[in-house]
Amino acid sequence: MAVNVADLDLRGVSEGLGRRELSSVEATEAYLRRIATHDGVLRAYITVTGDTALAQAKEADTEIGRGRRRGPLHGVPIALKDLIAVAGVKMTSGSQVLADHVPARDAFITRRLKDAGGVLLGKLAMHEWAFGRPVTDGPFPTGRNPWDVRRAPAGSSSGSAVAAAAGLCAGALGSDTGGSIRGPAAMTGLVGHKPTYGLVSRSGVLALSWSLDHVGPMTRGVWDSAVMLQAIAGADPDDTSTRHATTQDYVQHLEDGARGLRLGLLKRYYVDFPGLNDEVRGAALTAFDALRKEGATIEDVDAPSLDLALAAWAPIMSEAYEYHAETIRKTPEKFREGLRTRIYLSALFTAQDVQRAQRLRARIGREVDALLSRVDALIFPGQAAPALKFEDFPTTGFAPASIRYTAPWNLLGLPAAVVPCGFSREGLPVSIQIVGRRFDDATVLRIARAYERVTDWHRRRPDPARWTL
Amino acid sequence: MKTMDDRRAQFDAECRSAGLTLGARDYDLLYDMWLDWLPERDRLRATMPEPEDEPWR
Repeated sequence: MAVNVADLDLRGVSEGLGRRELSSVEATEAYLRRIATHDGVLRAYITVTGDTALAQAKEADTEIGRGRRRGPLHGVPIALKDLIAVAGVKMTSGSQVLADHVPARDAFITRRLKDAGGVLLGKLAMHEWAFGRPVTDGPFPTGRNPWDVRRAPAGSSSGSAVAAAAGLCAGALGSDTGGSIRGPAAMTGLVGHKPTYGLVSRSGVLALSWSLDHVGPMTRGVWDSAVMLQAIAGADPDDTSTRHATTQDYVQHLEDGARGLRLGLLKRYYVDFPGLNDEVRGAALTAFDALRKEGATIEDVDAPSLDLALAAWAPIMSEAYEYHAETIRKTPEKFREGLRTRIYLSALFTAQDVQRAQRLRARIGREVDALLSRVDALIFPGQAAPALKFEDFPTTGFAPASIRYTAPWNLLGLPAAVVPCGFSREGLPVSIQIVGRRFDDATVLRIARAYERVTDWHRRRPDPARWTL
Repeated sequence: MKTMDDRRAQFDAECRSAGLTLGARDYDLLYDMWLDWLPERDRLRATMPEPEDEPWR
């Protein structure tokens, strides 16, 4: 084995396995060594399933050796956010409530990944119940940003971001209710793809707010995310929201480029937002120029009702109150105060607030659908600002203003991906975001790849020498 | 124009209505959070839906 596995993206690992330059056991052992060396600081994992992973890797090597490679994920070591069930493996959701919970069945998507031959390295850290705040203490620390370990990777799929960015797995799955895939992916220089609502099953995945929850990949490259999405997308009889799931080939058109595509830049709502960091704005505008040079046409567009998106998103989060109400009433001490308060706030919306929110959700959806009938996708900066230091992270507030960059797309259920577009002066990743039509995740990934392939941001790696406290 | 006392009374009434029984620390934190989010909630309540603003259609 001449390659340094931790420097590879998922594609590199997959192609190394395909060419027999690397075995699955070698790759798995390399990741396990790296986890053992660095996770004491990075805290990406809650549970490492080393023995099981090595057994899966041996089985993969045997099958691949017999010429029976199942596909691009076969033998590739990956990891899952700790709210996705793996039979027989502890699943905590980053919460003391579930500290000893061991599910008996795999989630649908876990079965899909196993069927694809993926090797499961373990379960990844996350913000408590996907709605808590970043923490460095207690039984469930949420992980440190590998680009600067004094900073949070954001959340809630914090461990997924840390593990994928630091080379502690080849790719990870996260979940996203208001930005929990795209936020941490943006903060750590990853591609993060929130699929269309109803494309990926949530059965066996713990809920935060079921009409806003999505599960999707977080990886170093666009191809990586496309391959992971391919494995998990599709209808599941146990999740009725997927009954209209329309899958595509997410890899086939990745290299088709941007020529001829019409992109709508949401300038007023996103680029002109006073809370947008200047370095993010500058990098994003440069990235949009790169897409223009690749043959895309870009026009400024607007959906005025986006101004109502956060006002509509919050009452719908009262689904989280319903989910936790009994447990929090009986055992409030099992919730950290940051999460507890957010859940209590969800109780203060009235029934009329929730129904008003649903009606405005329909209005925003109509406006955005009209935009997407004129353009192939919407583009804008991927985040408001680069990663924050732990001590600068807001300790109060229901949601930061910056959630405007992500939450509207949970509300509408449209596919949305972030892709890295540069670094701040302090060496922190920044990104752009692409939003597409319902069930046209392939075009979102194609645009992301069209940008990625003319840049090298995705090839940069954080320096392990700086992973000290 | 509501005074802070009015706000506090409104908050207390909403907590009672929701059946929340809070310790002192949670009460203070929730009040601050509620106050912080109030402009968004007011915006929601001030926006009249159109007849065609119907979910699930």
